[in-house]
Amino acid sequence: MSMKKEASSLSELGFDVNFGAGFFRQVPSSGCDNGEGTQRRPRPTKVSVIGAGEVGMAIAQTILTQGLADEIALVDADAHRVRGEMLDLQHAAAFLPRVRIVAGTDVLALTRGSDLAIVTVPGARQQVTLELLRKKVAVLREIVPAVAEGSPESLLLVVSNPVDVLAYAAWKLSGFPASRVIGSGTNLDSSRLRRLLADHLGVGAQDVQAYMVGEHGGAAVALWSSISVGGMPVLSYLQKTHASSSSCFDGEALEGIRRAVVGGAREVIGLKGYASWAIGYSVASLARSLLRDQRRVHPVSLLAKGFIPGNDHEVFLSLPARLGRGGVLGVAAELELTADEESTLRRSAETLWEHCQALGL
Amino acid sequence: MHKTSSLSDLGFDAADASSGFFRPVADDSTHSSSSAPHRRLTKVSVIGAGNVGMAIAQTILTQNLADEIALVDALPDKLRGEALDLQHATAFLPRVRIVSGTDHAVTASSDLVVVTAGVRQNPGEARLSLLRRNVELFRKIVPPVAEHSPDALLLVVSNPVDVLTYVAWKLSGFPASRVIGSGTNLDSSRFRFLVAEHLDVNAQDVQAYMVGEHGDSSLAIWSTISVAGMSAFKSLRDSHHSFDEAALEGIRRAVVGGAYEVIGLKGYTSWAIGYSVASLAASLLRDQRRVHPVSVLASGSHGISDGHDVFLSLPARLGRSGVLGVAEMDLTEVEAAQLRRSAKTLWENCQLLDL
Repeated sequence: MSMKKEASSLSELGFDVNFGAGFFRQVPSSGCDNGEGTQRRPRPTKVSVIGAGEVGMAIAQTILTQGLADEIALVDADAHRVRGEMLDLQHAAAFLPRVRIVAGTDVLALTRGSDLAIVTVPGARQQVTLELLRKKVAVLREIVPAVAEGSPESLLLVVSNPVDVLAYAAWKLSGFPASRVIGSGTNLDSSRLRRLLADHLGVGAQDVQAYMVGEHGGAAVALWSSISVGGMPVLSYLQKTHASSSSCFDGEALEGIRRAVVGGAREVIGLKGYASWAIGYSVASLARSLLRDQRRVHPVSLLAKGFIPGNDHEVFLSLPARLGRGGVLGVAAELELTADEESTLRRSAETLWEHCQALGL
Repeated sequence: MHKTSSLSDLGFDAADASSGFFRPVADDSTHSSSSAPHRRLTKVSVIGAGNVGMAIAQTILTQNLADEIALVDALPDKLRGEALDLQHATAFLPRVRIVSGTDHAVTASSDLVVVTAGVRQNPGEARLSLLRRNVELFRKIVPPVAEHSPDALLLVVSNPVDVLTYVAWKLSGFPASRVIGSGTNLDSSRFRFLVAEHLDVNAQDVQAYMVGEHGDSSLAIWSTISVAGMSAFKSLRDSHHSFDEAALEGIRRAVVGGAYEVIGLKGYTSWAIGYSVASLAASLLRDQRRVHPVSVLASGSHGISDGHDVFLSLPARLGRSGVLGVAEMDLTEVEAAQLRRSAKTLWENCQLLDL
C-alpha cells in the first residue's frame, strides 16, 4: 500500500509562505494601535475527539457539519488512520465554514486548550468482564490525566462503554468537579424511545418528552408515567386505546418496547458491524447544549449520589439534567418514580458501585 | 434479530393511536382534510450503502436537504443496519423519513438519485474489463431507477465517473441536462483549500476550477484562480523561488493525489465526497443556480466534436431542473487541446461499451 505523503500546503511545494502579506494588505495602523489587533481575538471553540474509529469520526463529522466548533482535534493511536481522517475532512474545506482540524497521536499536545473533550476509546463490546473493565480503565489512565492537564477548564464527555463506569473513572482520573464530567448515557436510548412513540402518534420526535434513565444498557429504565405529548400524559392514553386489542399496553408490552429500545444498538451492530450515525448525532446534540449554553435537558450519565432514594454511592448513571456551558447545571430532583423504577435504579447503583470499587481509583 | 423500527413491528396498531390522541378541528364534511393538496416532500435516493453512499446520505440528512431518504444496496443486512442507524438518529433531526430496500422500487418518485454503486476491481483486472462490469451493474440499476422516477435528477459518483455518467445518461433515456457526474467538484475543493491556506483566506473566497476528466488527467485552469476579484496566478508566480510549469504541475498533482493519500491512510475516502455531493444536492434541490465543476455532456464545447457525446467536468450552473448552463471558459490553446485529448480518450472508451 503506497503511503506517499502528498503536499498538504503550497509552501511544501516551494511557494513562499509569506506571500500572502502582499496579496492582501493590512489597514494602516494608527498611533494608538499597539498591535493588539491579533492579541484580543476571542478564543476559538475547540472540541477534541479521542478515538478516530467509526464512533469518534461520526461524532467529529456531525459536529463539523453542524458548525459547533472552530477547531477540532482528532487523536488516535493509529497515526496513519487519524491523518487520513483529518485529510478527508480538510478536503471538504470549500463546502464548510473555516474550521481548523488537527490530528495525531499525542493526547496532551493535540487536546490542549479544549472546551470539550470527547472520549470514545476504548471501543467495542458493551458487555464487559471485570478483567476487561480494568483494561479499559488502564487505557483511560493514559488519556484522561493528559486531557485534564492540557485543558483544566474543559468539559469531559465519555462515550465508550460501559459508559457509566467509564464516566466515573474519567471523573476520578481527571480531578474535575463532577459537574464537568458526563457520559453519553441514555441520551440516545431516550431518543429511540421518543422516535418510536412519535411515529406511532404521528408527531415530531421533539414533541415527545420521554426519558430513559439509570444504567445505560440492558437495565435502563423507561419512565413511562412521565411521558407526555402536547401536555397530555401518553401512557394512560395508550393503555386506554389498546385495552381491547390483542396487544394491550400492559406491563409486558411496555417491557417489550423498553427491550427493543435498549437493544437498538446491538441490532445495528449485528447488521452492519458497528453503530455510528445515531451516536454521532446524539453526542453532537449534547455538544451543542454544552458549548452553546442551551440549558436543554438531556438524560446523561452523571454523578447520581443523592438523587436516587436509598443510594448514597458515588456512582454515575443517567438522569435528566440541564446542560450548559458549565456542564451539568442541575439534575432533575423531583422525578416521580414508581416503586419498581426506584428499586431498579437502586439495584443498578449497587452493581455499578461494586464495579467502581474494584477499579482502585 | 427482529425488526423494530416502529411500534407496529411490536404489535401495536398504529391507526388507533393518532386518531384519538389528537383530534382534527371541527370542519364541515364537504372538505376532506386528508386530501388537501400539500407541497410534495423532497426525496433523495442513494444507490450504494458503502462508505461513500452513507457519508453522502448522512451529510444530506444533517443538512436537512430532504424530507425522505431512500437507501438501496445489494447486501440486505448491511443496508438494513445502515438504515436503522440513520433512523435511530432521526429523533435529533426535523421529521424525515428513512426507507431502504434491495429493490429499486423504494426509490420511486425521487427528486434526486445519487449513484455510488460500483464493482470491486479484481486483482490485475484490466480497466476495460472493470468498466464493462460496471456497465452491467448500471444496466441493473439505472433503467429501473429511471422508470420509478422519470422526472428525477441523476447524479453519478461511481468511478470512472465521466464514463459512468455517460452510461447512466444512455441507460436512463433522460435529457442530458438531468444527468451529471460528481466530476471534479471535490478536486476543485482540494485545489481551493490549498490556495486558501496559502493566502490565509476562507476557501469559499477562492474561485478556482479543475476541469476535464476526473482523475489523473484533470486540468487545473490557472487563469481562473481569483480571490477578492484579483487573479492569483501572477501572484503565485511571484511567490515561488523558481516558478515554472513544474511548480504548477506540483500543485495539480497534490490535488489529484489527495484522494490516493487518504485511501492509503484510512483505506477509503468518505467525508469529503459526502460534503461535495451534498453541496451539489443543495444547489440542485434548492434551485440555487450555483456554479460547480461537474461532469456534464461536453460535446460542442471547446472544439469537442458535436457527435462525441462525452461527459467531462466543466463549470456548470445547477438548479432544480439540473444543468442550466455550461461555462464558456476562456481556455488557452494548450488547455483546450488537453481537454480535447481527454475527450478523445473518453469517447474511445464509451464506444467500446455497446450503448
